[in-house]
Amino acid sequence: MRVILSFIAAIGLIWVGVLESASSSVEDFKRYSDAHVLNHGHGSMQRVLAVGLVGDLVVSKIISDGRDTVIIDGNEEFSLPSPIFSGNPRGPK
Amino acid sequence: MLGIDSFPTSIKQIQLFCLVPTAQKLALMFLLAAVTYGATGIGAMLLMTLLANTHLGKDGAGKHGISIAESSRLGGVAIAIIVIVYIAGLSLMSPYTSGPERDDTFLYLWCAVLFCCLLGLAEDVKPDFLTPMLRLGAKFAVLGALFWLSPALIPLTIGVPAVDFLLNLPVLGWVLVTVFAVGFINALNMADGANGLVPGIALASFAVFFMEYGRPMDGALMFACSIFFIFNVISGWYFLGDTGSYGLGAILLGYGLLGVADGHFSAGFMAALFCYPCVDFMVSVIRRFRAGRSPFSADNGHLHNRLHQLIRLRVRSSVMANSFTGLIISGSTSGAVLFIYVVGLLPPDSDLWYIAFVVEFLIYLATLKYLTSIQPKTQYADVG
Repeated sequence: MRVILSFIAAIGLIWVGVLESASSSVEDFKRYSDAHVLNHGHGSMQRVLAVGLVGDLVVSKIISDGRDTVIIDGNEEFSLPSPIFSGNPRGPK
Repeated sequence: MLGIDSFPTSIKQIQLFCLVPTAQKLALMFLLAAVTYGATGIGAMLLMTLLANTHLGKDGAGKHGISIAESSRLGGVAIAIIVIVYIAGLSLMSPYTSGPERDDTFLYLWCAVLFCCLLGLAEDVKPDFLTPMLRLGAKFAVLGALFWLSPALIPLTIGVPAVDFLLNLPVLGWVLVTVFAVGFINALNMADGANGLVPGIALASFAVFFMEYGRPMDGALMFACSIFFIFNVISGWYFLGDTGSYGLGAILLGYGLLGVADGHFSAGFMAALFCYPCVDFMVSVIRRFRAGRSPFSADNGHLHNRLHQLIRLRVRSSVMANSFTGLIISGSTSGAVLFIYVVGLLPPDSDLWYIAFVVEFLIYLATLKYLTSIQPKTQYADVG
């Protein structure tokens, strides 16, 4: 039982990084599409706690490269953010 | 600045540090994971610690490479779980579309990676479950199918005119790349004999791929390999196993070939990045052939075996002697290539990387020759 709980805790902690990466990329996408403001956005305490110092750099690069791909290659790597998750006003109502 | 007189004291301090008990090793591993990857790193480290303590995939003392401690072979399984959780979560909750969803080449590549992982998993869970010939045949079949279905993975030019001519012949090019691919995966498996050696090579390679392309998959693989690298080097309780070495071998092979075929990297860059497993494999095959043994029989005459024997005389902790061996080799080959790439001394598509490969090759030969001269026999019993 203790082992199963430990496994759940381990996956849960990994999930913290997944959530942080996902929410950061969606927020960045919204911010760019709304205001066309480039903001690298790394270094916030919440993100450093969630993904650490190296992870912060990794997430920042994933976001910036994903954004560049959207802009340059016509949405090849990143499709539009999920309207349910991001509350994107352009999504289906 | 260290004076000459302070060197013996420093070595003693390092040796004392190397003899730290289990609890302190765990604390250090979790601290490094927390600093580098935060809560996510702690989660990944916890998952690896739990998997390392399961009865499944246990190796007895002295069964894996130069390790003399009981250890687990499920490192590859742990890396796979972390990457799957990360990529599945990112696909579900963000705009990210993974490679296999958007591109047939990536789909076929990841199918081949999955098959290689399963082939290794069967061996990790139940050793000798599949005969060596069956495993070799399965790898030929899967990789042959991969290159047949995805000819975009076959580079048409590697900067050597004679080889370029052969690669451009339709069927011969496919045969050559398939043979190379099977050899590469076996080479990586063969090199997995010291703490931090193959994980270090994989970590440096994924760091290069991530900095070049910024793909989330590369980021996830770099993260999982970083945590495994910390665990493997500090504790020595955990190895990649066949799941890890076959799986990582297939991923590195696919990404490397794609990078060369697309022109982002030169073949010389990849040769320098993966110098140690490839050169050690070729030299081992020639060495066994000259000794009248099967070129594919296992033995302990690799450079990492001999280097470990030298270091073991100077370092009291067997785990740290093992880890220093792996770190020296991976750091001076793939680590050096990563450093040159990061500081921008050479562009990744330059053919001048062949010079770096030749230098690494010569250093390998000189070191092996010197170690063989002072150690006519290794301390390990040769198999076969």
